[in-house]
Amino acid sequence: MTVTSVMEPKMPKCWRQETKPHKFCPGCGHGDVLKALGTAIDELGIQDRVVFGCDIGCSLLSWDFFNFDSIQTHHGRTTPVITGVKRARPELICIAYMGDGGGYAIGSQHLVNAASRNERIFVLLANNAQYGMTGGQMAPTTLPGMKTETSPYGRDVEWTGNPTLGPEMVAAITPDSAYVARGTMSNLRQLTQMMKKALQNQIDGNGFSFVEALASCPTNWRTNAAKTWEFVEKEMPQYFKVGELKVPAKKEG
Amino acid sequence: MVEAYIGEYASGKSENAVNRALDLLERGRTVTLVDLDIVEPFYTLRPIKKELEAKGLSVIAWETGDTVGLGEAGNLLRGDMLWALRREGDIVLDIGYGVEGSKTLNLLHGAHQDPELRIIAVINISRPMTSSVQDVVDYVRDLGPVHAILNNTHLGEETDEQIIQEGAKVVAEAAKILGLPVEATAADEKFRPTLGETDAMGHPVRYLHRLMPKTFW
Amino acid sequence: MADKPIQGEKRMFVTGNEAVAYAALAANVDIMYGYPITPQNEIMHYFTRLAPKFDKPFLQTEDEISAGFTTVGGVMSGKRSFTATAGPGNTLMQESMSMAEMMRIPTVVVIMQRGGPSTATVIYSQQEVTMTCYGANGEGIRVVYSTCNHQELYDYTIKSFNTAWKYRIPTFVLGDGYQAKMRESLTMYDPEARGIKMVDTYPLVGLPGSPGVDRDPAHLRNTYNTEEELYEVVSNLVKDYEAVAPEIVESESFDCDDAEVVVLAHGVVSRAAVEAVRELRKAGIKAGHFRPITLRPFPDKELKAVANQAKKLLVVESAQGQFAKLVHHSLYGDSTPMEYIFKPGLGITSDEIINKVKAML
Repeated sequence: MTVTSVMEPKMPKCWRQETKPHKFCPGCGHGDVLKALGTAIDELGIQDRVVFGCDIGCSLLSWDFFNFDSIQTHHGRTTPVITGVKRARPELICIAYMGDGGGYAIGSQHLVNAASRNERIFVLLANNAQYGMTGGQMAPTTLPGMKTETSPYGRDVEWTGNPTLGPEMVAAITPDSAYVARGTMSNLRQLTQMMKKALQNQIDGNGFSFVEALASCPTNWRTNAAKTWEFVEKEMPQYFKVGELKVPAKKEG
Repeated sequence: MVEAYIGEYASGKSENAVNRALDLLERGRTVTLVDLDIVEPFYTLRPIKKELEAKGLSVIAWETGDTVGLGEAGNLLRGDMLWALRREGDIVLDIGYGVEGSKTLNLLHGAHQDPELRIIAVINISRPMTSSVQDVVDYVRDLGPVHAILNNTHLGEETDEQIIQEGAKVVAEAAKILGLPVEATAADEKFRPTLGETDAMGHPVRYLHRLMPKTFW
Repeated sequence: MADKPIQGEKRMFVTGNEAVAYAALAANVDIMYGYPITPQNEIMHYFTRLAPKFDKPFLQTEDEISAGFTTVGGVMSGKRSFTATAGPGNTLMQESMSMAEMMRIPTVVVIMQRGGPSTATVIYSQQEVTMTCYGANGEGIRVVYSTCNHQELYDYTIKSFNTAWKYRIPTFVLGDGYQAKMRESLTMYDPEARGIKMVDTYPLVGLPGSPGVDRDPAHLRNTYNTEEELYEVVSNLVKDYEAVAPEIVESESFDCDDAEVVVLAHGVVSRAAVEAVRELRKAGIKAGHFRPITLRPFPDKELKAVANQAKKLLVVESAQGQFAKLVHHSLYGDSTPMEYIFKPGLGITSDEIINKVKAML
């Protein structure tokens, strides 16, 4: 007999059921960030126009996550691959998904230049303060004093600088028609709204859209559930302020 | 019985965890072995998972084919790993290396409330980071909570009795400074005739059947 | 501050990545630059744990383009500098290594080969032979040591600094993901205690004195105006390289003198070849093994001598003929029949070699 009363977790329509449950670690922020993205896409009704590119790193695990045409690119190169698609096929909705290492370290030149050129793409970046894929090394977003495999005595900001402020940087170099925000997995409703605005900005042909999402990595933080939330909600926002940094004015008419 | 084996990179944590689990199993106990090596995805239990399960062990570990982009994508932890301490019977945890030491145990539900949990630091004094008494003391202090030390000194194929006994001596001295007991000395099965039941310092000897060489990548 | 990282000699049980980190420290390296990539991460992990004890800095860069160029900068400032990478990271470092070739910058890069092309696997392969020897827009003015065990990783990491600085040629230690992660024992030593003198380093920029007053400024270039100018520069690079190549080349051969079949392999695969030759000899089959240690410069003379004596050659590698291309080039004109085992990204066992050799008889 089939039991039909089992509660199925509600998932966005554009998620690919065959690849669920997903393979992110328990407590990983990626699942929540991609839920917000899926919800935003469902609400805008643009699933059949989306091309999704994912970076190398844990974000790679999203490569078969959605019912969209999706590309595994190279580490740091998702922004130019997706830019190439958009430039050649402007009618598509192009999304580049990456982590903090992919966006702010190895792919930073692409982020800066795509933003400066006001590319009509949406770059979505999950910030979990270290490289999860290779075993937890220091990332541009690692918090001061935080221990990682390549900062075994804690991040020394004198030697390695302060955590990268991505949205602040993107906001500074984009024209007024760009959308720039930092959301968090701890406020999914707000994060979803940000993604909707980012996507709408592309649909309207306005300009570059960028959302950083604060995301958890209990595996590499070695934190239990309570400590994980404390890190996301208390520690990270000390350096990474949540909110919209740039919202394009509504187009006339 | 809940035992977590932690220690330096390539110190022999996994070999000791596997052998301990099989030893408990042979005594007719129910045993679950958990692979928590989350820094680098090699020399872990994946390749021998099926072989161990065939012997009657419950093994919580990935299988290589199930991982995505091994080493280039996350998927290091699985839900069943987090709930491992709720299993029936004995639990043996293989904790990988990393700067966070025994903090990896924070990931397990109930680890801090479990009165049975014993954390055992595996030491091989042929490893450069733990080659002297002072090195071992500094290293173990840095690990976080530890309940006992295990001497697993060897030099691969070149191991001889003298190397094992030298390890026993250094580990005993370090344990004294740390105020910790020495759990045992571990040695390859082939040393049973010469070493006997205890090492030169009087610690019990656990004999190992080497399985980990089969687990490369 | 602690004294030397390795005092005298000691027998140790380590992984290949650690062997490299300790060797670099034993070689009195001044600075490491790097970016995370599997399977070389523990070189950085161990360097960052150990180096501060000896007051040696590490810089984690934003990517491998930067790791390569910061290494170039470190070397030009006169410091013994190195980096380590693999696969896609090696691809990104080709740009900086091209500059190093042109400007004779004695960089040291340790490569732990992984599967390719693209991101592929993090595990193992020998598919970075062509790239490490001849990558970028140049003529391959490089030294490439292909190691086969931990002792060699240690020895050649130390040696690579001396080769680089003695000849002013960018130098590579070419390992692989198996060597990186395998565990075996080796003897770590203080090079000085073995009578190995580290070749002195010296600055190419930041020189003493007042430029334009008591010395000429160092104006270092890699850009030329005319074809003729460039031709002269490259010809000189090649001439200098060829002049020192005989001093640099290294190879090993086992049981080749009377061998009917000689197995050609390099790196970790030569371990399987040695094992296979031992077994074949036990079975009364005349097999031998030749192994270049330097893939650049290639031991042409030594290989030709072996090929002249052998009835047949068997080339074995974990790539689709990258090593075989070097062999073909080296043996141009030689008519000894050659067969192959090509397994890109896969390990090769002695049994496979034994069966193939038997089939060739």
